[in-house]
Amino acid sequence: MKDTFYTLLSVAILVLLVPVGTSVFVLGFVLGDSPCVLCWAQRTGMVLIALIGLFILRYGPRPRYLGLVVLVGAYGIYMSIRHSALHLARDIGQGFSVEMLGAHTYSWSTFIYWACVVAAGLALLLSREWESLAGGRRLGLLGKIAAAVFFVVVAGNIAQAITSTGPPPFMGQSDPVRYSFNPRRWVWSLEEWRHVPISFRGRWSIDRPSLDGLDTDSRRGPLATVGELQVKRQETISPSLNGEVTDLAYDEASGRFLLTTQKFGIYLVDAAFKNVIRYTVIDPGFSVDMSELNGAAFVDSRTIAALSHNKSYVILKENDAADADKNYRYFAESFDQFDELDRSRFSTVRARMMYVMSLAYDPASDCLYTVTVPNRRNKKLVVSRFARTDMTLSEEYSPKLSAGSGPVLRDDTRSLGEYYVTGIAIRDGRMYAISAAYSTLLLIDLAKREVSAAYAVRGLSKPNGLAVRGTELYVACENKTVHVVDGPA
Amino acid sequence: MEFLNFVLILVAGYLVVKKPHREKTAFTLLVVIFLLLIALFFVGSRSSILPPVNY
Repeated sequence: MKDTFYTLLSVAILVLLVPVGTSVFVLGFVLGDSPCVLCWAQRTGMVLIALIGLFILRYGPRPRYLGLVVLVGAYGIYMSIRHSALHLARDIGQGFSVEMLGAHTYSWSTFIYWACVVAAGLALLLSREWESLAGGRRLGLLGKIAAAVFFVVVAGNIAQAITSTGPPPFMGQSDPVRYSFNPRRWVWSLEEWRHVPISFRGRWSIDRPSLDGLDTDSRRGPLATVGELQVKRQETISPSLNGEVTDLAYDEASGRFLLTTQKFGIYLVDAAFKNVIRYTVIDPGFSVDMSELNGAAFVDSRTIAALSHNKSYVILKENDAADADKNYRYFAESFDQFDELDRSRFSTVRARMMYVMSLAYDPASDCLYTVTVPNRRNKKLVVSRFARTDMTLSEEYSPKLSAGSGPVLRDDTRSLGEYYVTGIAIRDGRMYAISAAYSTLLLIDLAKREVSAAYAVRGLSKPNGLAVRGTELYVACENKTVHVVDGPA
Repeated sequence: MEFLNFVLILVAGYLVVKKPHREKTAFTLLVVIFLLLIALFFVGSRSSILPPVNY
């Protein structure tokens, strides 16, 4: 049994050294591939496990050796996931560096480290109370071969490391250059030592959108030339809702408003905001995770869309004879009012790292639109258009300011990305977008992709939804109030 | 720094194979190499310690 164990261990060491040896001699010296700083660490971890294998060959399967295999293997799995995550979400074929058997080298290490942890588990399972081999046991032939290959692979790595990364304190680079045997082309870099903030989630650390703390004074907004619209009346949403209103939309054909609430409520109310015609509360979990609803739109008079700020959406169709039992999985309340037609997620490109708080449907193009809200890492105003037919991104842009008599920025340091659009509506090729920051209504020409006008709307309190009804604009604000203004000509 | 780590690996391997009675020294080197590995990967990934994807 012991001999079998050591034979298998020798083979395992050799197998483990194959990818590392291939990486340094074939990919590195022959094909010119240079490891990045993370690749180096992954490669080092594999060699470290091979070294622990030599320890076990020499001294027996002591618990501290097997424990160290598990620790290094576990850390290796973390390293490989951390590294691969940089590239896993890219388009097809857009991985980094060379491939082995169709997979990029860094992604292989997850499997290799996993196999090492499994091997350590098996060794613990199968080993008995073997004696400690003080002073070491003699290496068999296979063990000597494994040791020899180990030294060759380590020597190769030392040669590549001293040439492509340099002696301490130089270390590997994030974006290494092609390997060369010519010293004039070696890059010894200290760039990894430069100061960068330590972060758990890096650029993915984006705060959820919030209207708290926004500057509402339009005179301090990024646009210098802004007209003004007056609130001509204020209406109150009478019915009891399950939370603050987060968006509204209006359907001319049926004369009804659609409201969404903070607690996943979806309400159809009459034009006077007096009666709830039907409502439901969606179940935000399971299959597609819905965060707080912030967008509402009529797709037609009987079909509605609701959007979460994480760009997950749900499409519902009114049905007076909906099967309540069948719909139990979709709704938390009022199971027999709607059928769920679709629930999925919008995927964006320019707007990828930004949340949205608005949704509108354009019947002319049969498309749904969203507009981003800025965050501390990304300050852009991005309009995204999704085809209703497949709910896929069809157009995305940051609108420009129209030339001529349109609005202009106060100075070069300001941008449209400072606006915080919380409600949009579309009519006749124009998008109306209300910004909670600087209380400003933007008019966006969808054909020209430009902001054609901007208007200050004073007196709004946390506007978070916008609808067009006739010539009037309805702005949903906090405390179930709706401010009505005459739309610009 | 990667060069240093591989040199340490070479020394540890040499002790195991050629100087088996120096096990304690070799094992100490093994732990040092692992700690240095952790430190180097941290330096290279500290701007986003967790994998940079959705959570």
